[in-house]
Formats: sequence, structure tokens, C-alpha cells
Amino acid sequence: MLEVVLNDRLGKKVRVKCNEDDTIGDLKKLVAAQTGTKAEKIRIQKWYTIYKDHITLADYEIHDGMGLELYYN
Amino acid sequence: MANRTDPAAKSIRGTNPQNLVEKIVRSKIYQNTYWKEQCFGLTAETLVDKAMELDHIGGTHGGTRRPTPFICLILKMLQIQPEKDIVVEFIKNDDYKYVRVLGAFYLRLTGTDIDVYRYLEPLYNDYRKLRMQSADGKFVLTHVDEVIDELLTKDYACDIAMPRVKKRWTLESHGILEPRKSVLEDDFEEEEEKEENEQMDGVENGGNDEKDYHHGRSPTRERDRDRRPDSHRYRDRDYDRDYDRDRGRGRDRDRDRDRDRDRDRDRYRLRDEKDYGRERDRDRDREREGRDRERRGRDRGGGRRRSPSRSRSRSRDRKRRRSPSPRKNEAEETKKKEKKTSEKKEKKDDGTDHPDPEIAEANRIRASLGLKPLK
Repeated sequence: MLEVVLNDRLGKKVRVKCNEDDTIGDLKKLVAAQTGTKAEKIRIQKWYTIYKDHITLADYEIHDGMGLELYYN
Repeated sequence: MANRTDPAAKSIRGTNPQNLVEKIVRSKIYQNTYWKEQCFGLTAETLVDKAMELDHIGGTHGGTRRPTPFICLILKMLQIQPEKDIVVEFIKNDDYKYVRVLGAFYLRLTGTDIDVYRYLEPLYNDYRKLRMQSADGKFVLTHVDEVIDELLTKDYACDIAMPRVKKRWTLESHGILEPRKSVLEDDFEEEEEKEENEQMDGVENGGNDEKDYHHGRSPTRERDRDRRPDSHRYRDRDYDRDYDRDRGRGRDRDRDRDRDRDRDRDRYRLRDEKDYGRERDRDRDREREGRDRERRGRDRGGGRRRSPSRSRSRSRDRKRRRSPSPRKNEAEETKKKEKKTSEKKEKKDDGTDHPDPEIAEANRIRASLGLKPLK
């Protein structure tokens, strides 16, 4: 279990608990449940890498406490 | 400026019609090459030509959310605001299904509630296949009537938020709309008649034995629905008079009738769009069911029986009229207890009763989303 921090630099900073084998799509659903935006509207990036929905957090090497960027589609 | 709305266009829902499409999606459309090349200077007539060339519907797809030509044309229609006649022509035309769906979508966004129901419901009869591009870029198969159903029931389609329309039963209760008549109603009626004939044969063979009642399907349908509450009340008064001896038979009758009603209820759900109060009634009744059953076990008599059956609501109130005997009560209660323990076991697997409240909360959200609990 790990905790990821997502920040959109406009006031929304969200801490989400998730498993390593969750996909980015699942992470988006959890973020949507916490922030209230729709899951399809969320885009998770790290610098210019847009994270794809079907790949797991472990494969992207996302560890506990890591910060990701929250953008909107 | 190519992206400005026609100054003569009316404002829709109090705002620039183009604002019906959200800012981010709108910007993506403005930057799209299809918009820039093909949709420049389109009028209502040339729009029809472009619409005929459509071969799929969809919203935005891919990581960068590229828009489909479908929503580019929707935004173009919002920009130029064609007349209602033209939109209705789009919907009525039979040859080009994508033009039809385009017109239907535009009408759903801009039309009044009555127009929406009046013009979109006939499209439920159109069973043709459509190609839809999903959010990840793949094409899926769907049908015209499925798309229309989404437009009428959901509030988000093709990456555009649908404006709210009143529920159908509100308009029906005001008399503005007539109750929905499905094309399949004739088929249902034929089925009913067949079953009624079968049931008649069954009754002749079995005499007055009410147990046969629940083998065949109950003939009470929508037409007889209004008659049923009265026949109930009449029968209950008979029971109240003969308390002890007839309780055995009464119990069986209740059970059979409840079973029938369950089956009928499923059928109602297919056609009956009026009973929106059902969900609420169901929850309330379930809470009361447990309490009432215990009370009824002790209270021998028609006192309890009178009130629920007399209620005019067609909802699950009727289900509450269970058998009053203590032995039956215990059997049902133990069944309920078993269900509860099995549910509790499931919850433990979900992890929602984790000692740490934060984790329990997180697991609850995950369960509601359909994800496994945290490790």
C-alpha cells in the first residue's frame, strides 16, 4: 500500500492511498472520488510524460509519497 | 473570427450556445485540423454534406484528447444555430443514421423538454448499428436506440454535459405529454393473451386450488392493476372475520400472491416508468418489515393486517403482509440472520472494518468503485 500526492498547482492537493498493482485508471477513479471531478477528465503527468490508463503504478515505478501532477483534459 | 458565435444567434440556457461544450473540450476542437479546414464558413446546407460523410460518433479520445468530427460538427451547429425545422429534418431523415444521431444530439442540447421527448422517443425504434469511438481510441459497436437511451437517461455523453430535462412522469402528470406507448406493447399483449389461455386451462384442471395461481403467470397486468388493490381489500375483510381456522389458507394465499407480485413487478419495471417512488418505498419497507414481522407474530388478528393492505400505494407495502404464525417467523428470521452473517464475512474481505478508520474509509470507497481493498 502506498500513498501518492497529486497536486494541480491551482489549489487542489490530494493524498490518495492505493496499491502498487492498481492501474492509473483506478488511481484516477480514486482521485475523482476525492476531488469531485469526473475520472475521464483527469490527466496525471510527470513533467511531459502523460501516464496511460492501463499501466500499473508499479510499472511506472511510482513509490510511496511520490508527487504527481494533476491536469485536466 | 471563425470561432465567434453568429451574433444573431439566441442565447441558450442563458449563455453563449458554444458554452454548452466545456472550455477544455472546446479549445481542443478549435485547435483541431478538421475544424480548421472543413468547418470553416459552413452554412446549414453545407453542414448537411459534411454530416453525411460522418462514419462514427464519439467524444474525445487518446492521451491528448483529440476530438472526433462528430463533436466538431456539433460545435459548428451550436455556432451557426440552424432552424428547428432543419434539425427536425435531420432527425426524420431515414437514409443517413449519423445525420439522424447528429440532429438528435443537437436537439437534446438545445431543445425544450417537450421537444426532446417528442422527437427523440420515436428514434427508440431505430435498431441500426453505429460505430462509436471510445475514450481510449478503440471503436465499439452500438445501436441508435442505445445512443438515444443514453441521451435521455444519462447526463453526460460524448464528452459533453447534457442540460437537465424534466423527468417524463412530471410532464405526464401535468398532462403536457401522453404516457409512453412502446412499439413492443402489441407484442407484450400477445404474450399475455397466450398465457391467459394457458392459465385458464390450468384453472379448469385444478379446480379452486389457489396454489395453481402461482404456477402460471398471474393474469393481472397493467390493465388489471387498478382492479387488484380492491380485490385485496375485499378478501382481507373475509379473513378478518374467520381468524383462526382460515389462517392456514390465508397464509398460503398471501405467499402466492406475494410471489406473483414479485414476478409482476419485474415486468412492470420494463414498461412502467411512472413508479419513481418505488426506490424510496422499498428502502422504507425493508426497515419496517423486520419490525412488523415480530409484532405480527404476537398480535394475532386482523388489526395489523388491515392497515398495510388498505394502503393505496402500489409499492412493496404488499410484501410486508407475511404470515403471522410464530413458527414461520422464526424460520424467516434465522434465514435473515444467516444472510447478515454472510454479508459481514464479505465485508471483512473488503477490509471495510479495518481497525484504522482512515484505511476502512479508503476501502469503502474502493469497494464502491469496484476495486480490491488496500494491502
